[in-house]
Amino acid sequence: MAPALSVTHAHKEEWSGEDVAVEDVTTTLCRLREESAHETEGPDLRTSVMTHLAWVPAEWEEAAVETLAGLEERHPSRGILLFPEPEAADGIDAKVSVIAFPLREHRRHIAAEVIELRLRGRMSEAPASIVNPLLVPALPVFLRWRGRPQFGEQRVEQLVEVCDRLIVDSREWPDVPKAYAELPLDRAACSDIAWRRTEPWRRCLARLWPGIAELRTLRVEGPVAEASLLAGWLRSRLERDLELEHVAADELAAVDVDGDACPVPKERSTSSELLSAELDEFSRDRVYEAAALAAVTF
Amino acid sequence: MTETQTPPQENPLLEGLGPRRTPEPCVLVIFGASGDLTRRKIFPALYALAYRGLLPERLAVVGTARSEWTDYEFRDRMEHAVREFGRDDFKQEIWDWLAAATQYLAMDFTDESKADELVTLLNKVDEDHGTRENRVYYLAVPPQAMPAIAKGLGKRRRTRGWVRLIVEKPFGHDLVSARELTKLISRNFAEEEVFRIDHYLGKETVQNMLALRFANGIFEPIWNRQFVDHIQITVAETIGIEGRAEFYEQAGVIRDIFQNHMLQLIALTAMEPPIDFSAESVRNEKVKVLRAMHTPGPKHVVRGQYGPGYIEGKVVPGYREEEGVDPSSMTETYVAAKLYVDNWRWADTPIYVRTGKRLARRETTIGIQFKSAPHPPFEKAMTQELQPNTLLVHVQPDEGVSLEIGAKVPGQGMRIRTVQMDFVYGGAFRMELPDAYERLILDAMLGDQTLFTRSDEVEEQWAIVDAIVAPWARDRPAFPNYAAGTWGPAAADELMHRDGREWLRH
Repeated sequence: MAPALSVTHAHKEEWSGEDVAVEDVTTTLCRLREESAHETEGPDLRTSVMTHLAWVPAEWEEAAVETLAGLEERHPSRGILLFPEPEAADGIDAKVSVIAFPLREHRRHIAAEVIELRLRGRMSEAPASIVNPLLVPALPVFLRWRGRPQFGEQRVEQLVEVCDRLIVDSREWPDVPKAYAELPLDRAACSDIAWRRTEPWRRCLARLWPGIAELRTLRVEGPVAEASLLAGWLRSRLERDLELEHVAADELAAVDVDGDACPVPKERSTSSELLSAELDEFSRDRVYEAAALAAVTF
Repeated sequence: MTETQTPPQENPLLEGLGPRRTPEPCVLVIFGASGDLTRRKIFPALYALAYRGLLPERLAVVGTARSEWTDYEFRDRMEHAVREFGRDDFKQEIWDWLAAATQYLAMDFTDESKADELVTLLNKVDEDHGTRENRVYYLAVPPQAMPAIAKGLGKRRRTRGWVRLIVEKPFGHDLVSARELTKLISRNFAEEEVFRIDHYLGKETVQNMLALRFANGIFEPIWNRQFVDHIQITVAETIGIEGRAEFYEQAGVIRDIFQNHMLQLIALTAMEPPIDFSAESVRNEKVKVLRAMHTPGPKHVVRGQYGPGYIEGKVVPGYREEEGVDPSSMTETYVAAKLYVDNWRWADTPIYVRTGKRLARRETTIGIQFKSAPHPPFEKAMTQELQPNTLLVHVQPDEGVSLEIGAKVPGQGMRIRTVQMDFVYGGAFRMELPDAYERLILDAMLGDQTLFTRSDEVEEQWAIVDAIVAPWARDRPAFPNYAAGTWGPAAADELMHRDGREWLRH
């Protein structure tokens, strides 16, 4: 099982089991909610605004858990973490938690539900059938896919079908900008955390209008994903081609416009804050879509 | 031959970068900068806005007051205020940025030479900070100081850059004084430049009332006299007058709370859907409600004054024993009233309101009580514990909405009782709610008047208050008539009982 999420909860009810059925999970959730209610004056409030689905391959587990820590409190929804283990024997292991958070000036608590599922063997091939019974009815589903999704594969396509919004971080992709061409823009609203990281820089660049209208060369010091997206954005918004000079760095550190340095924005967000911001978005981001495509096609 | 001009092309890079709204460069000039409001609200709000990067990069703040402070002393005091009252953790670099933009000028605005000195200072600030002669004047001063400042500013106003004048409540003392103040201000400032603060309108949950009503299709069809039995609005405080005896003796709860917050809550609850969310559309609809309110007769108004009692287990003095209060004061600390909005939607639907100090609990709640089911097919014994459906909008402290519905008690037979479904605002959106002043200061910088009160609104409010208080001069009720820590005078309960109703227990 993944390490427990570090959160400032009031109390937490947990259950785990090996080789379980999906029905065990739903039954357990009800039971844990009742047990959680006994700890306080009344039932914990469930104020879900979405189902948050996360696909977390083994190499991303540590990073995912770190990012997700605290998200339950900020987005008190049902979180379903899927840990695929295709090499293991078939079966599902589950850990179910009902985490109650105190409400300011209330004696009652609100409850977040976290379902961690290890999808062993062939169980990782058809995840939608496992996830569908667990979704909160009538609420949007956000799917955070850690690493590079292999678009076209059954498990990716199934989960894209289930979700309303696909959240990726193209910084985790080894083959950008080429990979942007595969984004399933016709099937789901897509967001990219790498794109979100460029936002403060985009605001700074927008202030250079109209001087930036005739831009010819963009120099970006930072990860290739962010550099490509910034170039794609400027190409698509300004409707002109431009040359991208990319200097590799771990974080976006500098942007030059035709040799002039763009002021460095003050804002810095943590990975949790970046994901949290994406979970607040509900509609398609046409500007991102155009930027991602322009990052590839120019 | 006429020359055709190509209009400037819109900035294509801004698309998708909303909804952050950043004001244009400006100078915020605070009159009354040594006062409590600046310390407790304005500077903590400025810091919170700076913390979130919502202030313009080119901003200057100039505090003015009579206290003989230096820039350094003022910044030091404001730093302490931000540390004490700010909602965010203190980050030195953010404070340093705000402090570097802050200056102080000790002055009495009735002194012409000092007023000129302020203008000179602001001109220099424009040069130093690139604030383009844009001004936000914040009048955080008592009402009697406002005319001189408004007049002086008007006399010295510049033509370049925009001007916004934020005026704190109370806006006048009665209809006549409010009209005089409006007249004086309007000589030098257009209505579009005047931002009259009622901080209640800056509260997230008050704005949520508009979202609840106009973003949800299920409520509006039943939000009328056909389905609503009556409305109750409670604005209750547990605190006393907190050292404001001089103000409170003159104002009483009717001018402190009823004239502004209470009437705003009624207007937001009863208004028709605006055609859009622009300042004018929203305010037009609110004014219509105020105009349609008929003046309650003396029998429909209860006033009270608290005597000694207990708050949270501690003995508290009565109003007349508070420091600075006349021992025979007839100032009211409680008002309840039965009001009507005479229009198609609300005709004959009573709106019961109550507000007071030293009440049993701090809360602001709007209760919409619906009519009972017309013909429940249950025996009376089965529904003894059933109340009519009530929608409660909790404005503070437990921001949210709850709906009371009848549900079957599990077990043999049919027994129905009332249960509450809760939506807790902070439960679904786990973020700190911004303080009302953050929203209002930012809106004023942006020129958005939606959450500010228009002059005709203020006049309608005073007309209602004047009509209510007119008979008060003729009688002397037996004050005090309620103990601190209770829900007010017995007469307020009788006001409801006469109609076969009760105040909701929230």
